[in-house]
Amino acid sequence: MVAMSALLEIEAVTRRFGGLTAVDAVSAEIAQGALVGLIGPNGAGKTTLFNLISGVTPVTSGTIRLAGETITGLEPYQIARRGIGRTFQNLRIFPNMTVFDNVSVGPLGHTRNFWWEPLGLGGARAAAEREQITKSARDALARVGLSAEANELAANLSYGKRKYLEIARALAGRPRLLILDEPAAGLNERETSELARFIRELNGEGLTVLLVEHDMSLVMEICQRVMVLASGRKIADGTPAEVQRDAAVLAAYLGTEDEAHA
Amino acid sequence: MFDVHFLQQIVNGLSLGLVYALVAIGFTLIFGVLNVVNFAHGEVYTIGAFAGLLLITSVAPPLFAVLLVVAAVGALTGFGLERLAFKPFRRFRDEASIKSRAMREATLLSSLALSIVAREVLDLAFGGEMQVIPQSYLLQTPIMIGGVALTDGNLVILGASILMLAGLQWMLYRTRTGLAIRAVSNNVLGAQFVGINTERAIVATFLVGSMLGAVAGIMVGLYDGSIFPHMGFGPAVKAFVAMVMGGLSSIPGAVISALILGVAESVATDFVSAGWKDLIAYGFLIVTLVFFPRGIFGYSRERV
Repeated sequence: MVAMSALLEIEAVTRRFGGLTAVDAVSAEIAQGALVGLIGPNGAGKTTLFNLISGVTPVTSGTIRLAGETITGLEPYQIARRGIGRTFQNLRIFPNMTVFDNVSVGPLGHTRNFWWEPLGLGGARAAAEREQITKSARDALARVGLSAEANELAANLSYGKRKYLEIARALAGRPRLLILDEPAAGLNERETSELARFIRELNGEGLTVLLVEHDMSLVMEICQRVMVLASGRKIADGTPAEVQRDAAVLAAYLGTEDEAHA
Repeated sequence: MFDVHFLQQIVNGLSLGLVYALVAIGFTLIFGVLNVVNFAHGEVYTIGAFAGLLLITSVAPPLFAVLLVVAAVGALTGFGLERLAFKPFRRFRDEASIKSRAMREATLLSSLALSIVAREVLDLAFGGEMQVIPQSYLLQTPIMIGGVALTDGNLVILGASILMLAGLQWMLYRTRTGLAIRAVSNNVLGAQFVGINTERAIVATFLVGSMLGAVAGIMVGLYDGSIFPHMGFGPAVKAFVAMVMGGLSSIPGAVISALILGVAESVATDFVSAGWKDLIAYGFLIVTLVFFPRGIFGYSRERV
């Protein structure tokens, strides 16, 4: 599905750690409004690529652009503010804060001068921006169905709900691109299919989603396009049906099964 | 048993405990975001006292102005401390390195080094002995309230401390700044990826913690009538114990522990000689470490 304009452009991005090339000259484009999957066996470089996009790890070479603007070299928080929201494989919620406060942090970064608020320098604007945060947080909680738990401590939520909390936190920041890192990990089949439906719904509302998964089934089920990484290289890129027939993909998944699960 | 003398000891203990609490909050806030102990925190307290004294001897403003200026000096000291002793060791952006052991050990030494330098500079500039404090600023005027003999120092410490604690709660729970600090304290990486500048959050905790510590220093200096380069050591140790008792990163835990410590020390002087009273804190520390390694309120795990 070669679509309209590219929201995210990854151009010949390479990352080396000493002698190891974790991501090797990967190029890809994610169109506005797309639902793209990124798969690959363990150690394929998915997480590294992910970290390069979100800015935790600097690229060795190459460029990443979001809506035409180069984001390589920016701090992770700056990249987040430009509209990339993400969730984490091993959740990074704020366990000792309430569910509501957790989600409030999502839009917080978009408001201005909040470090000076205790000194009263925010002025009338501060109150309006706090109001805005509250509204975004409420909407996001309602969207994932956690409104009833708003005042619970996040640590007290079940594992499945914590996943949705993390998604709500990202949504509250109104991202242009949402990256989900192994969202199905630890969920049972029913929960996974619920999640799949939810992701498709979000995408249907116009949100661009990049889904990073170790397990193929969810990706094959909901994505319009799938990219496959193996040993740091992009070995396939196409519709789920195309990718599933691809010889290189089959080799990567089946041929080196032992290594992949080491 | 519940006689006037006892009540007096309680009030004294509460003042003492509030001072420990103010200092402990600095430790706790910084531990919350960085997982490190700031060994120069006691010197922030001392610098607060000296800054106040300089202001008193040069300008002689009213007391509340002294406290305000000292708070500002404390914030500035915290900023400098963070940039000199902590920032240089923070090179990477991921959580593993922000809260790593290497970072912890490096900053433990760098903050200790900076504390020694600060102490020695004060020693060289002012001499090691107690400073002369103008009589009119000493907070030792007796006040009788219902038969309990207090000093105006007790009231200043009680009032200012409670005001600052309330201000801190307001900042942490009612402003966006506090929301950001709590988020970073809960999960650095999570906060970063929703757009929080963690560097600023770290600096903010140093500003706030050092502000409280410095004000505690000048209040105690005027209350005890003693300001000297090594004055920060004792309160820093007690505050450190309170932080450990409270579970390392819990502000309510640290405050309650500090109050317990203060009252225990104050009441104990009835039974043991004053020279032994420091043993109380160490006793609490040992009991906490042996029986409650996650702090005496550790079960709740509430941070910042």
